[in-house]
Amino acid sequence: MKGAILKVTENVANPIINFLEKGLDKKCFDAVLIPVKVPVGNSFAWVLIQNKSLLEDANPLPPVMPVQGAKALSSITRMGKTNKKIAAIMRPCEVRAAVELSKLEQVNLENIFLISIDCPGVLPLKDYLERPEEAMDKFNEILLGACPERSRRAQNDIEWGNESTRPACQVCDKFVGTDLGFCQSDLHIGILGTKDKNIFLIPNNEKGKSILNKMDIEAEKSMDNWEKKAKELMEVRKKKKKEVQERLKFKVMGIDNLLDVFSNCINCHNCRSACPICYCRQCYFESEKMKLPSDDYLMRAKSKGALRFLPDTLLFHLGRMTHMSLSCVGCGACEDACPMSIDVAQIFSFVADNSQGLFNYIPGKNAEEPLSLRIYKEDEFHEVET
Amino acid sequence: MNEKFVPRIVGFLCNWCSYAGADLAGVSRLQMPPSLRAIRVMCSSRVNPLFIIRVFLIGADGVLVAGCHPGDCHYQKGNYQARRKFAILKNIFESLGLESDRLRLSWISAGEGPRFAKVITEFTEKIKELGPNPAKEKVFL
Repeated sequence: MKGAILKVTENVANPIINFLEKGLDKKCFDAVLIPVKVPVGNSFAWVLIQNKSLLEDANPLPPVMPVQGAKALSSITRMGKTNKKIAAIMRPCEVRAAVELSKLEQVNLENIFLISIDCPGVLPLKDYLERPEEAMDKFNEILLGACPERSRRAQNDIEWGNESTRPACQVCDKFVGTDLGFCQSDLHIGILGTKDKNIFLIPNNEKGKSILNKMDIEAEKSMDNWEKKAKELMEVRKKKKKEVQERLKFKVMGIDNLLDVFSNCINCHNCRSACPICYCRQCYFESEKMKLPSDDYLMRAKSKGALRFLPDTLLFHLGRMTHMSLSCVGCGACEDACPMSIDVAQIFSFVADNSQGLFNYIPGKNAEEPLSLRIYKEDEFHEVET
Repeated sequence: MNEKFVPRIVGFLCNWCSYAGADLAGVSRLQMPPSLRAIRVMCSSRVNPLFIIRVFLIGADGVLVAGCHPGDCHYQKGNYQARRKFAILKNIFESLGLESDRLRLSWISAGEGPRFAKVITEFTEKIKELGPNPAKEKVFL
């Protein structure tokens, strides 16, 4: 793996912003889609920047993920390809979701330059909003764990994805945007293993290389340091994921446990709205198909003895699993959006891992690979037919 | 076990094969348990996995999806896609510890009246072994 090395001046974000400014100057791209801290209040929002002076306020690695980046990209490009080139700086899970959405024709990647960045995880939105400043400090500590010498407390990389980040991030093993993380961005920015206060620019394809060329950045340096650290951390996460899923299994197995877990659900459908993969203009659960005459409910109440309202909570969650589990990137946006703190993301990604395993399909890995439900083999799955 | 328990099975039958197969079984006066509630669909691939979950949670003791034999689909490839969807659903049921044995996918052609009767008899027996669907009693679904 070869790439370029940029010097870090004040903080990790600085060289990235400079790089983007240079890109705009040299017309490598005409606009940048990047998270920016809103001037009033503490939240972060996706902003499409054309005026380079506004890049100063941008933060390529915000501590929270209020809107999944793929959703932002989808609202820009769902009508077709953009006429100008846009560089989108996103976390690997956001890039993978964008690639999945491009297969679903909700994102057009033709004029988009996808830049991914090593992800230390994000904090739960609730924790951040309660005490923004404390949370910001905490996040910076986690982030600096990537560069031990700069850290106040000489932490190591294992601190990435520690228990103050979201549960989905703690077990994420696809936090890098190269082949290692099964992610197909054009350019990856590495921060892991940067002993000398550097960041790494790793082009993943010709598009990435040509842009670096255009900006006169030579990408011939060895990325071994970064690769080694990334692999180490990945092993830790894989192990952790296995443990967590093993525990989760006992919590959700069987209809009684499932009902327990989802009994707090208030049917707000926020998990669906926040999900980057759920894109249907008309969701089945909002459709006329779910509006039934009272006789139907009375009949069900008669046969069951009683019926809870609002009805069909479990149907909603199971239904959503069948609809999006093949493309679920495990970003955790659903859990952040849940006002009742149900472990939706963990349950969903556990189920999704299993169903993706059926087809050896990894969502977002390759834009050319067709969705598993679009294709078939004549000779397969004989075990399900009787 | 419960002698009086007559399972209720919801069957999604494809218009071109399995529904005709059911018809043939009836016309031929083949004996089978009266457990099936048939729903005719134009193709087995029309069955959204959601339909299956919906009838399962309302309390169907078994759900059958039946279509043309692979290669015989009226729409060329519908049943191959139905098989993939069914495989995913079954996998989700297994992941969550729901009774995936209550779901069945079978290929029954228009000429296979006896096979239709056999599938219904077999499946009904299987469901009798499993007993009534526990979801039937659950109020807080």
